[in-house]
Amino acid sequence: MTHPLLSLSGVRVVFGEFTAIDGIDLTVDEGELRFLIGPNGAGKTTLVDVVTGRTRPTSGTVTFAGQPIHGRGEHRIVRAGIGRTFQTSVVFEELTVLENIDLAAHFRLGPLALLRRRRGVTPTVGGVLERTGLAPLAGAPAGTLSHGQRQWLEIAMLLAQGPRLLLLDEPVAGMSHTERERTGELLTEIAADHTVVVIEHDMEFLRRYARDVTVLHEGRVLTEGTVSQVQADPRVQEVYLGRSQRTATVGDERDTLVPAANNEEG
Amino acid sequence: MTAEDTRATTRPAPTAASAAIPDPRPTPLARARDPLTVVALVAAALLVLPLFLDQFRLNLFAQYLCYAIVAIGIALAWGRGGMLTLGHGVYFGLGGYALAMHLTLARVAEDPMAQGGLPDFMVWSGLETLPLLWRPFANPAFALFAVVAVPGLVAALLGWSVFRQRVRGAYFAILNQALAAAFVILLVGQQHLTGGTNGLTDFPTFAGNDLYSPEAQWVVYVIVVVTTALVYLMFRHVAGSRYGSLLVAVRDGEDRVRFLGYNPTWVKTLAYALSAMAAGLAGALFVPVMGIISPEMLGVVPSITFVLAVAIGGRYSIAGAAVGAVVMNAAQTTFSESFAGGWIYLQGLLFVVVIVFAPRGLAGVVQSTTAALQRARRARATGGTPDSTHRTSDTPQGTDASGSPR
Repeated sequence: MTHPLLSLSGVRVVFGEFTAIDGIDLTVDEGELRFLIGPNGAGKTTLVDVVTGRTRPTSGTVTFAGQPIHGRGEHRIVRAGIGRTFQTSVVFEELTVLENIDLAAHFRLGPLALLRRRRGVTPTVGGVLERTGLAPLAGAPAGTLSHGQRQWLEIAMLLAQGPRLLLLDEPVAGMSHTERERTGELLTEIAADHTVVVIEHDMEFLRRYARDVTVLHEGRVLTEGTVSQVQADPRVQEVYLGRSQRTATVGDERDTLVPAANNEEG
Repeated sequence: MTAEDTRATTRPAPTAASAAIPDPRPTPLARARDPLTVVALVAAALLVLPLFLDQFRLNLFAQYLCYAIVAIGIALAWGRGGMLTLGHGVYFGLGGYALAMHLTLARVAEDPMAQGGLPDFMVWSGLETLPLLWRPFANPAFALFAVVAVPGLVAALLGWSVFRQRVRGAYFAILNQALAAAFVILLVGQQHLTGGTNGLTDFPTFAGNDLYSPEAQWVVYVIVVVTTALVYLMFRHVAGSRYGSLLVAVRDGEDRVRFLGYNPTWVKTLAYALSAMAAGLAGALFVPVMGIISPEMLGVVPSITFVLAVAIGGRYSIAGAAVGAVVMNAAQTTFSESFAGGWIYLQGLLFVVVIVFAPRGLAGVVQSTTAALQRARRARATGGTPDSTHRTSDTPQGTDASGSPR
């Protein structure tokens, strides 16, 4: 690729007196699996909101596949090829799992085509149901799903959209250990043929599944690199350990980093 | 999360998952059941009811069916789309006036005593030529087209401008209510154009036929019955389509729908316009049935009454809403005959009872009763053990006594 798939340049977001994002430059290439981490308030979710049109940047530009997309409506950005999930999963509880995924898969249909009766399960929808393991639940209303299943349904809906770039906002938050593993496998599978950006707090999950990591802090990019590079970076430890580092002796940073970060989020 | 939950959510082995995906669509027989019921009801209304009801009662029934058509539209916009339309009297009125204007012109054209081919209220207001607004309505085809097109267009313009600004909930309801109030003021104020508070009345002919003859009244009745059935089937189809699911999705999570790539503005505008078109059609049918259309039939109070009938019948069910409108209006007639003025209190009480105990209305009560019976039957079939494990798979919201979704 000559151009990066997604590129942010000088993005600032100011809410009143509070600066959520303070000049971020970020590029994501086609085929990347990028993790975005950072302590609470670092601006991770705001960044995703900016890319997906939920929040308009105060200044700066967002370019996707060579097209500027900042300031476009949310649904237009989806049509351009960017999909996202939400931290607290939002699925349509009164619709069945199948209907949820089916709607996600058919946003390109016009009003008249949408008014026709749905006939069977289209290959896209069927494939996504299989891939996410939701096939046995296809007929169940989404309101009856467990927390983990809802997160998978969100991912399933995202896959059904067929986006070029997937943004996952804390996909394993609140999941049990088994569900995390399952989500991790799913993520690896998806990343094989998609460009994915994941926001994640969970350090263990990060270490197991991340390739490249961008660390945000106070609305800025602190550092970028592979998992081990980032973990070895003293500034990252400073940010994550913060107060507790002053009392902790510098021993095996990798091990202290993980529990401290987990405690902070937990 | 308990261990049991975890087990339940773990993905089955790939071999097991490759089994056929259960398609929750109803079987062809189940899909045909509803239209067959409609055909049976139409047959009953046309063949059986006339044996029991005289001309006057039959005419009243046709009137209730007009309200049922309005209710069907409101059930789509409000029940499925979450748009509380407290001003459907406007669209009912636009449809009604469109046809009444044509019928008035048809009467005047055949009346040698009419001065300058004008309705008498125009003459009294000092008009000498027919206003431009009225001229196209001399053409019956235009009038019939306008019956549906004008309400649809007005609703589409209003809906588009309002939904685009993300106005919803109570603000939208109040806006509709204000629209109904303003529409009545306009009709009353523009007496030379609309006949003022008297409205338009006395329609002896349509397309050269004597509308007062029993034969014509019978034809009107048949048209009303058949139209109600067709409107029901059409709205049922819309609710069952992908668009119907999308509308529910917009109701429950408008912002989330944007991230699915849809623009909720057109989704809501379409449902609102369709429901306005149903109301317009109902208003037009109402005119030959009642022989009059006037501002008091389409102001704030009638608009609220439309919505009350839908709430009591069940706003999530299109059939429930239609039945609710017929039952409520029939009850009103029956009650008013015995206790004049008592109806309004009973209606208020009924509304409170429904809101508190059965937010899904009569339709919800029927659904939860059916579901409970089915469960009991299944429990008997499986040897007396209530199958709590499958309860969630059929009617999750319908399982509690009130059928309340939230």
